[in-house]
Amino acid sequence: MAASAADIRSALQLPESSSAAGPSQPKRQGTTATRKPEGISRELYSLIGPSQPLLAAQLAKPRFKQKPKFASAGSSATKWELRPFHNSARKDGLKLKHWAKASEDPDAGELQISEYPFAKYNVENPHHVFSQDEYTRYLEETPWTKELTDYLFELYREFDGRWYIIWDRAEFPPECHFDIDDLKDRYYGVCRKLIRNRPWPHDEASKAQLLNSLSFDKDREKMRKRYLVNLESRTPEQLAEEEALYIEIRRLEQTERRFKREREELMRTLAGLDSGLPDMIEDDGAPLGITPEVRGKKRKGVPGDAESPVTPSAVSSISSPVKKVAARDAAYDALHCIIRTGDGSGTTKAAHPPAFLRSAKIPWLKNNSIQGKIVQSFTEMGLSPSRLVMPTKENVAQLESLIEAVTAMVETKKHLDKVEYDIQVLKKQLDPQSGDDSMGEGIIKTEDPMEVDDVGGEIDGNDGRAQSVLSGRTSMCSHDTLQTQRSMSISSVDTNATSLSTRVNTKRQKRG
Amino acid sequence: MEEVRYVLFDTNWPEITRFADEVSALVIDIGASSLRAGYAGDDTPKSIIPTTYGYIPTAPDSDAPMGDGATTEEASSSNNTVGGRKYAQIFLGQNGPSMWRPGMEIGNPLVDGLIQDFNPISPLIKNALEDIMRVNPSEHPVLVTEPTWNTPANRERMAEIMFEEFNVPAFYIANTGVLNAFASGKGSALVIDIGQSMASVTPVVDGFVLRKGLAYTPLPRFIHAISRNLLVNPTANRPGIELWPHQLIATKTPVDIGQQPIFTVRQDRIAQTTQSWRLWAESKEVDEWIQTVAAVSDQGWNDQLMARTMPKQYEFPSGYASNFGAERYQVGEHLFLTNNTNPNQPKTIPALVTESLRACDPELRQVLMGNIVLTGGGSLFHGLAERLNAEMLRTFPHTKIHAPGNPIERRYGGWLGGSILASLGTFHQLWISKEEWEEHGKAIVGQRCK
Repeated sequence: MAASAADIRSALQLPESSSAAGPSQPKRQGTTATRKPEGISRELYSLIGPSQPLLAAQLAKPRFKQKPKFASAGSSATKWELRPFHNSARKDGLKLKHWAKASEDPDAGELQISEYPFAKYNVENPHHVFSQDEYTRYLEETPWTKELTDYLFELYREFDGRWYIIWDRAEFPPECHFDIDDLKDRYYGVCRKLIRNRPWPHDEASKAQLLNSLSFDKDREKMRKRYLVNLESRTPEQLAEEEALYIEIRRLEQTERRFKREREELMRTLAGLDSGLPDMIEDDGAPLGITPEVRGKKRKGVPGDAESPVTPSAVSSISSPVKKVAARDAAYDALHCIIRTGDGSGTTKAAHPPAFLRSAKIPWLKNNSIQGKIVQSFTEMGLSPSRLVMPTKENVAQLESLIEAVTAMVETKKHLDKVEYDIQVLKKQLDPQSGDDSMGEGIIKTEDPMEVDDVGGEIDGNDGRAQSVLSGRTSMCSHDTLQTQRSMSISSVDTNATSLSTRVNTKRQKRG
Repeated sequence: MEEVRYVLFDTNWPEITRFADEVSALVIDIGASSLRAGYAGDDTPKSIIPTTYGYIPTAPDSDAPMGDGATTEEASSSNNTVGGRKYAQIFLGQNGPSMWRPGMEIGNPLVDGLIQDFNPISPLIKNALEDIMRVNPSEHPVLVTEPTWNTPANRERMAEIMFEEFNVPAFYIANTGVLNAFASGKGSALVIDIGQSMASVTPVVDGFVLRKGLAYTPLPRFIHAISRNLLVNPTANRPGIELWPHQLIATKTPVDIGQQPIFTVRQDRIAQTTQSWRLWAESKEVDEWIQTVAAVSDQGWNDQLMARTMPKQYEFPSGYASNFGAERYQVGEHLFLTNNTNPNQPKTIPALVTESLRACDPELRQVLMGNIVLTGGGSLFHGLAERLNAEMLRTFPHTKIHAPGNPIERRYGGWLGGSILASLGTFHQLWISKEEWEEHGKAIVGQRCK
């Protein structure tokens, strides 16, 4: 920003010129239009301009706490006066005096009679009364007379239903031997009878509710108090024994829990992840205060489970269909597209999988020697073994079976290669004359007619080589027989994965 | 008359002032050792005077009192002919009984915490209100306290005095147990009140005393007697101590600890000293020794432990000084330890608590033990609260003791509770007004003050 003539003048402390230069005239108008804020020098303001409100606010004078306004500060002090008031909770005409602001309501002395602020706290609980007629009709009870009952009701009213006080102050004839529960029983019993036998102006529900609030079980109360007394009158020896027993039971519980856990772990190791103890009840031991060390152990177990081969668990969860879900649940689930994977019993740990992403259930390959070959064959198919665009339950299952099939195929091929090599070597030994020309080729052509395995199925290997895939219905366990029969066909595809296997077939065929 | 007051905000009890509505009530708390009076809403009584008073009985032949103005300039001196018993002069206030006067007898209207002699009560109240506080009782409602074992006749007499003699516009008599609970901010509590002459345990539920659960004994008087015996009788280490009060000692020379004191007695006063004054003065010495030296061991009596505690030095007015070690604790131990060999020993504090709880509903015991309020000047024994806690925890694992650390609150807890109660806006409907008194007579006291 260029300095105006006025700025130079003020900086040099020159007197203001009456006839200002042409260019400075509009600028001055500009500065007067936006007023310089308080607490900032004019020079600085012209430098930073009007666009710095924050800075200007900071530069403003600090504001201190406001001084209290005393009477000396101009206005006179608030006037208070000793004013008599009447408490409407009082039945007599006692006029007490309290201090009140004279300015507030100078002529409200009479008004205050009705609005003493503390009179509203004078509330009386509702209480029951009965007539002589009602007493003779409904309320006769052996140890009680009308006088005693009246006296009890009077006490109840006087002490606002504070039973401890009522019992303390009550002076019944000594032959009655009433204790506090007898008094309560009598009072509530009379109230219940009165309500039952009188016409009830409101609805039945409110009557039942009221009766419910007046219910009193004397025997139960007496038993409860007996328990309380017993609890209090325990000797130190009894207390010590109780404590010892408590510690003992805690120890036993912990031992049992540990035993169960160990047994379950053992079962899992022996029979697979899925076979937890069915009676292993979910119990984190919180009420009895299981030691944190045990908890840590438990938590450590979880990643261990994740590291263990997932395939069987996934297979189990997938292959176990919704059959165990109850019929109504099935209908509900179908309606809301809910798919349940657990077996629904919910009480055992093994059968209670937590929420998971389906993509987490995609099987991954075992890191072994043939992994590379599996991946290779997958890439040949144009697929990825670790990724599914839509990992639905069916897709995951199919991918899984595909991986299994490919694994079996690769393994069989490896085996086949070895056997073929052996055959070649043996043949060479047997027939040294023809060895030279066959050795040059490296891969021999099997002259023998291909043996079709006993299960049968169409043979797809037109060249009879290892690449040939048999889409038969042979099971995995027939491998050994196949191998011994030197069969070149690979049959491993599950019935579930027929579509995939056909795709594989077509690919192979194309390649072939 | 127009009065203008600049109100200063009372920040002491902000939560109480919300419910407060000051009507300038006065609170009077009469105890065995002192009479406390002050404005409701204050945290300390304005005037504290000894309940004990000095008087010179009228000679049987002449009833013209001879005023010795020089000695009674502080004390209220008046011709008192109330109740037929004539005092030529009565001396009240801080300079009342404690100032030696020839032929002055000492009296105390209270016996076992109850007012037995109402004659000096009006002069005492008049002295506290009119001479010290300079208020006109006829302009203020008055709240008076009473012990739980007060008789209906006694409270009616008190109401009569206040209405007829002091012409108060309104009156209320409240229980010290309840007021002590209120002073600790509790509606339900087990109040252990150890005063100068009586120790009491009062269960309070919802602001009402459970009268059946009241237990009280003259335990502090017993402690006093034990201490006196302990001091007066010689032990293996020291001779018996002569309890000469300051007022009767003319000169004394400083001596080393444990040495025989060298002092001269004011022989001119001895002859004119009455037996009651001498007794009072000596018991004051004993009390001061107790208050200065005596303590309660934290965990119970243990000879080896007691022998190792720091002895405390105390000098008597005669100039005799001694170190008190195990003796300090021996005194306080009587609050807890039952001595089977002494049939005269009153019930100890734990025995009182047990007795009180046994009379209460089993459901209440837990509540009460969780809200023990320890109060009264006699509870200021060093270490008493800790010891009581340890003793109670042995039988009741949920014991919680509330013992105000401030000695003023501890000594004047009853007054403080009265101050709180009489300044509550909701309390003002409970006052017995003069109109009601005239209409219903004495019966209204029992009806209103439950």
